[in-house]
Amino acid sequence: MIEMLITAVKFLLITIFSSALGLLFMGIARKIIARIQKRYGPPFYQPYLDVIKLFGKNAITHGFIFDFGSIMALGGVIATLFFIPIGGWYLYSMSGTVILVIYLLAIASLGMAMGTVGSGNPQASLGISRALTQMLGYELPFLVILFGLIYRYQTSSIVGLMEAQAGGFMNWNLFTYPIATIIAFIVLLGMMGKKPFDAMIAPSEIGSGPVVESGGKYLGMMMLQKSITIIIELALYVNLFLGGAENILVFTLKMLIVWILATMIGSLFPRFRIEDGVLFYWKWPLMIAIVQVLFIIF
Amino acid sequence: MLNNYIFIPIIAAFFAYLLNKKVKYTGGIITSIISAYLLYNLIGLYGKWSLIQTIDFSIMGNNLEFILGNNPLSWLFALMTASAGLLIALFSIKSQENYDLSSAFNFNFLILIGSIMGVIFAGDFLSLFIFWELMTWTSFYIISGGTKKMAQKSAYRYFVLSAVGAYTMLMAIIIIYNQTGSFAIGEAAQYLINIPMGRSLILMGMMSLPFLTKAGLFPVHIWVKGAHGNAPKEFSPFLSGLMLKVGVYGLLLVFYLLPFFKVMENTISYRGLPILSYIFASFGAITTVTGTILAIRQEDMKKLIAYSSISQMGYILMGIALATPLGITGGLLHMMNHLIFKSAIFLTLAAVIYRTGTTKMYEMGGLIFRMPVTFATYLTAIIALAGIPPTNGFISKWVIYQALIEKGYLFLALAAFFGSIGSFMYVFKPLSTVFLGQLKPQHEKIKEVPFIMQLPMYVLMGLMVLFGVLPGIQMNIISKISSQLGIKSVNYSLYTIEGAFGSWNSMVIFNVFTAGFIISLIIFMLAKKSKLVGLLDTYTSGEYMNDAEAYHYAYQYYRPFDRLFDSFAAKSLTRAYESLADNLSKVGNALRKGIITGNGQTYAYYTVLFFVILAIAGWII
Repeated sequence: MIEMLITAVKFLLITIFSSALGLLFMGIARKIIARIQKRYGPPFYQPYLDVIKLFGKNAITHGFIFDFGSIMALGGVIATLFFIPIGGWYLYSMSGTVILVIYLLAIASLGMAMGTVGSGNPQASLGISRALTQMLGYELPFLVILFGLIYRYQTSSIVGLMEAQAGGFMNWNLFTYPIATIIAFIVLLGMMGKKPFDAMIAPSEIGSGPVVESGGKYLGMMMLQKSITIIIELALYVNLFLGGAENILVFTLKMLIVWILATMIGSLFPRFRIEDGVLFYWKWPLMIAIVQVLFIIF
Repeated sequence: MLNNYIFIPIIAAFFAYLLNKKVKYTGGIITSIISAYLLYNLIGLYGKWSLIQTIDFSIMGNNLEFILGNNPLSWLFALMTASAGLLIALFSIKSQENYDLSSAFNFNFLILIGSIMGVIFAGDFLSLFIFWELMTWTSFYIISGGTKKMAQKSAYRYFVLSAVGAYTMLMAIIIIYNQTGSFAIGEAAQYLINIPMGRSLILMGMMSLPFLTKAGLFPVHIWVKGAHGNAPKEFSPFLSGLMLKVGVYGLLLVFYLLPFFKVMENTISYRGLPILSYIFASFGAITTVTGTILAIRQEDMKKLIAYSSISQMGYILMGIALATPLGITGGLLHMMNHLIFKSAIFLTLAAVIYRTGTTKMYEMGGLIFRMPVTFATYLTAIIALAGIPPTNGFISKWVIYQALIEKGYLFLALAAFFGSIGSFMYVFKPLSTVFLGQLKPQHEKIKEVPFIMQLPMYVLMGLMVLFGVLPGIQMNIISKISSQLGIKSVNYSLYTIEGAFGSWNSMVIFNVFTAGFIISLIIFMLAKKSKLVGLLDTYTSGEYMNDAEAYHYAYQYYRPFDRLFDSFAAKSLTRAYESLADNLSKVGNALRKGIITGNGQTYAYYTVLFFVILAIAGWII
């Protein structure tokens, strides 16, 4: 009983920490984008205020699937979070989790997709159709790289892949497989919906796509989900390519560096059309990833 | 005894036909009772692996021996047949109330179940072939009874392809019989190992063609779309869930029991896999990719899921062609799981068709508020199909990935990844366009299907989650099959399967998932209660909207993606086969015109020529 209680407390702590960190990152990103565009920008704590405000507002719903979708989306990312080592913290690190994490993230995407399409707004459906199409673009190079790493280090656990890079920063995959790291970074841009791969949320064309019908607590939950997703994706990247870290501070710093880089690059480019984005992923990152992995397996 | 499993359904078929002619619903009830009886008896058959029954039969002085045998592989397939038959028969009791051919359906369906049992338990090629043909014929009749216009044509295509395969198999059987004097599978295997490799490969190729066809694999997958899309709605679950798997049974027979892999063992290999096996696995990969791309394009929901079946069969072929412990485990697991989730999907589609009478996705929408149980089943099934934990589909896909990564088959793995991510796209299309979105005005009064039709859906939903949390149940029988096929079994417990590079605990995944869900639910409940508004009350960029029909995004859902593959989809293999057939008949016509001139003198020449040839032949001999 006590053990279960401790686990529950750990669950809550990790959830709160990651969502707080994610919101902080979102605030920092807004500041950076503003400075690149020569604006002053909102304060870095603006997302906290937004979430608190949103949960206090009145909201409208379009039926039970709308509610269920948003619960499933947030629940999916929270569940995924527990399988990812963040600094020295990991609750459930089983030896075969790296593919599991990718599929668990899909639960959240499915929940969000279902909820927003359940609102009956065609703009939401349009956004989801674009998001799923883009997913087929960026997941392929990423999975190919993962294939290479799993085959190279003979383990499919995230901790194992992290420990394989132990012993000095020259052992990081950043330096041993720089091409793979760069490709994974491009994939990361697509995963996080950064420009030029943001056709699915395109505010000026389809009214922000999946977010179009969310207001009040639904938007608040979506922001929480987004913040946790950012942490999951950054943590996965740091663990796989930057050697992870035993210390939570170092780990956060690494995540922050990747995030700032992604934000900066993401604010420079115009938007890809959806099929061009997919084609780009298949033409360059995928082909280079295949060549890289062929080098690894032979 | 084993012959009961074959002949009881076949005899019952006649009663079902006659009674159903008199009283409505009786056909479906009889089919359900017979399937339940078979299922009950099969459970008792578990563990009796050495049971062999021989039936001697003498015709005109020739003694024929029919052999039926029980082994883990056959038992699993028989169990799958009986349970799929039971669920679909239960469903069809009510769903066929307005179907004119329901008597014929039940007649053929029972014979089909019996003949599949015959194929599965057969210990010799003669009974295998007889029941194989019976299976093809009855399923042909059922498919052509579909209510759509194209049903006959699709059934015809299915039949022609099956027949071509069946006759090449017959040829191989006769050649082997000539040499060994026996139809028994064991003796054929002995013979095939000891003859030169080239010959045994040709024989095994001929033998595997009907199975490849029946499993809907590249390059003979072209019948699947039409047959699945146009078959009666109750039969599609059986066709996709089970009949494709009978092809897999045959392939397992050729690969492992007529030991194709043993013959190939010491040939040129790529990363430890004989090159011919690798070609088979590549067929699986091509099947997966093609099926995925074409499924995403479909506007007809049954055809979409039919292409999805093609793509999933590719996974199974990849798994079993690898011949590693993980590969065979993944293939067999995926086969069982595919039966469960694919029949669930087709049953939900059948329920939708039962209520709306259409299969075009853009003619529907918003059915979730009218058919919640159907929706829940569909949702669970697509979560399983897309391979998302905590359902059964994730486990089998994970094992197949492990098998592919273990040996470093990059291109096969790439195809598997493509099929898996692509499956998110195509399964979401019916979810979004049929169940979500705006409800059409003409569907306002639709109700959920009757309870007897919901019952199979509940069962399948339960199975998907059960096997997703406790894969060890399936692994019990699969490890037995592995040892029967001469492959080492993988380590497993009730919750875990040991992969090449690690494992996980499905119970933990399930619990963590529940915990995440509960935290999220608490956050949701703590916030203020929201106000319910209608589906038309949305952000419309300032337009005034009152037409639900126009306000539903359904047609060409993935148009940007489809644009990438327009030229690929235009090159249809079906058309290639058709033009081949056209050209063949043109050549035939030209030859006929050259030979059959209608001139008496030409025929006289032929006669003279014939005698000259005879004379020369006689002189040489």
